[in-house]
Amino acid sequence: MLTTLATLVAVSLTMPQGSGQGSGRGQGDSDTTVAVQQGARLDVNNFGGEIVVRTWNQNNVRVRASHSSRSRVEVSTSASTVMVRSQGRRGPPSIVELEITVPTWMGMSLSGTYTDISVANAGGAVTAESVQGDIEVTGGTGNINLKSVEGGVTLSKTKGRIEVNSVEGDITITDAVGDITVETVDGDIALIRVDAANTEVNTVDGDITYDGTIKAGGTYRFATHDGDLAVVIPPSACVSGSVSTFDGEFDPSFAVDTVRAGRHRITFAQSRCSSPARMELETFDGDIKLRRPGEVELEMPDRDKHQWKPHDNDFDLDLDLDLDFDINVDTRTITRYANQYAAQYAAEYAPKYAREYAKWYAPKAARKAARAVRRQLPN
Amino acid sequence: MNDLWTNRLSEYIDGELDNTERAALEEHLATCGHCYATLADLRQVIARAKHLEDREPAQDLWAGIRAGLTTDAPIPLRRDRLVRRRFSLTVGQLLAASIALVLMSGGGMWLAFRPDAQPSPIVQRGIESNETGNRNVARWRVQSDIAIAELQDALTLNEGKLDTATVRIVRENLAVIDRAISQAQHALRRDPGNTYLNLHLAKAMRQKIELLRRANALAGES
Repeated sequence: MLTTLATLVAVSLTMPQGSGQGSGRGQGDSDTTVAVQQGARLDVNNFGGEIVVRTWNQNNVRVRASHSSRSRVEVSTSASTVMVRSQGRRGPPSIVELEITVPTWMGMSLSGTYTDISVANAGGAVTAESVQGDIEVTGGTGNINLKSVEGGVTLSKTKGRIEVNSVEGDITITDAVGDITVETVDGDIALIRVDAANTEVNTVDGDITYDGTIKAGGTYRFATHDGDLAVVIPPSACVSGSVSTFDGEFDPSFAVDTVRAGRHRITFAQSRCSSPARMELETFDGDIKLRRPGEVELEMPDRDKHQWKPHDNDFDLDLDLDLDFDINVDTRTITRYANQYAAQYAAEYAPKYAREYAKWYAPKAARKAARAVRRQLPN
Repeated sequence: MNDLWTNRLSEYIDGELDNTERAALEEHLATCGHCYATLADLRQVIARAKHLEDREPAQDLWAGIRAGLTTDAPIPLRRDRLVRRRFSLTVGQLLAASIALVLMSGGGMWLAFRPDAQPSPIVQRGIESNETGNRNVARWRVQSDIAIAELQDALTLNEGKLDTATVRIVRENLAVIDRAISQAQHALRRDPGNTYLNLHLAKAMRQKIELLRRANALAGES
């Protein structure tokens, strides 16, 4: 059995600065490479910091870690799994930046608490979960399961069964093939150039945009409470369905057969065929727009939109200080530096991020304000 | 959904597929969300069915059955069926049972009100009568309220294990959902029988339950 034959190679990565690729970073910079067999999986847990995964055409996994001496990174391998864990020498680990290069075929499971996760050109299944952090994945086949509590999720160029879930953050999926289930509470959702027969999209406070295939016999459900829906329907698509809105408008940009089926519900159909796609569109407070290809203005989120977050946990204050200043500090020192640098960084970054956030949030706020004004106007 | 594989899900669950078939089905499951969802539903049905209590029948039917049996016909001995309850059902049976369980456990509102569904006989009976539908809705709401209250109590106990920022995010988003629930309830007071509004409320309450479950799970992992 693979598990019984597993040979555990535990490598405590505490090489001194300058011995590897991490020069100029934290005291625990390290670099290790292990050989893997086809079919092995990568399993990473990093409490805080970053997990960056890239792929190459070698059957090796290379793990580069940058962290303070208060933390360590352990890499263990068996016949079926390469496991990477960040650990604190005393208490929780501080920030650890992991750069991992894996074979293209390798499936992976990545998790963290205060962790941004980025995967490029994956060829296998990808599971990624963070509590506070953005997730960005390109590639992947098979099961693609991405979850964040506070953070945006961006997925592109993937194929398989896709499940994406966030609580507070935007979700953007582009160039994806396969059945898709997406849900967030407070965030916009955009599915662009997707090829899906079954799609289920839910948000509570956010807009939904769908610009993808509409397949015969497929099922497409999009629902939000407070936000607009924009769905692209090609002229050739055979589709029937319903739109429901309590306080909003149904706004197709082309002629479509409609029947009022209730006080807040309209059924519609485009073309007749034996197996039409089924579409359900719902928003409590927002407009439902049917558009032709090319008519939807795509608001692609900035990949760095969620990079700046006012975390108020106890573990992130020391992160930048650890890495930038390459010192091992205690809490009092951290507090002193934080007080010293907070004002300086606030002055430097606040205008920059204000502009950046305004760019993305102003249109949404403007749309909401317009809806509110519209409701006050007499019909 | 691929009927070829849908009809084999029961065998798959029971471990009756050979290696080749199992591998082929698993490959198909990797790209078919509906099949995967169906599989999950079937597993849930089986799991719940195993915990059902045996109940005495309300009426003894054996005398009538015995009278209808010919004395010459051999009576098969199936002691195994009598001794061990084995839940190997056809997909149709499992789906019907799944719908029934959904009706009992919270999704009933969605099924009862969904305007365009092709309901099974079980569901059809539920929406034929407004009275029955209203009872289902009332029962569903009570069950959801209980679930939410229990999960909120659990979160109150457990949230100390979560980072303060995570607690803040969870609370903020629960407030977002509560606002949606409140608006839906307000609209429903003016239009109690509205299908869309009932479904919308159900969806918002489901999202609240999901968020509470997830927050509790995170606390459990901490």
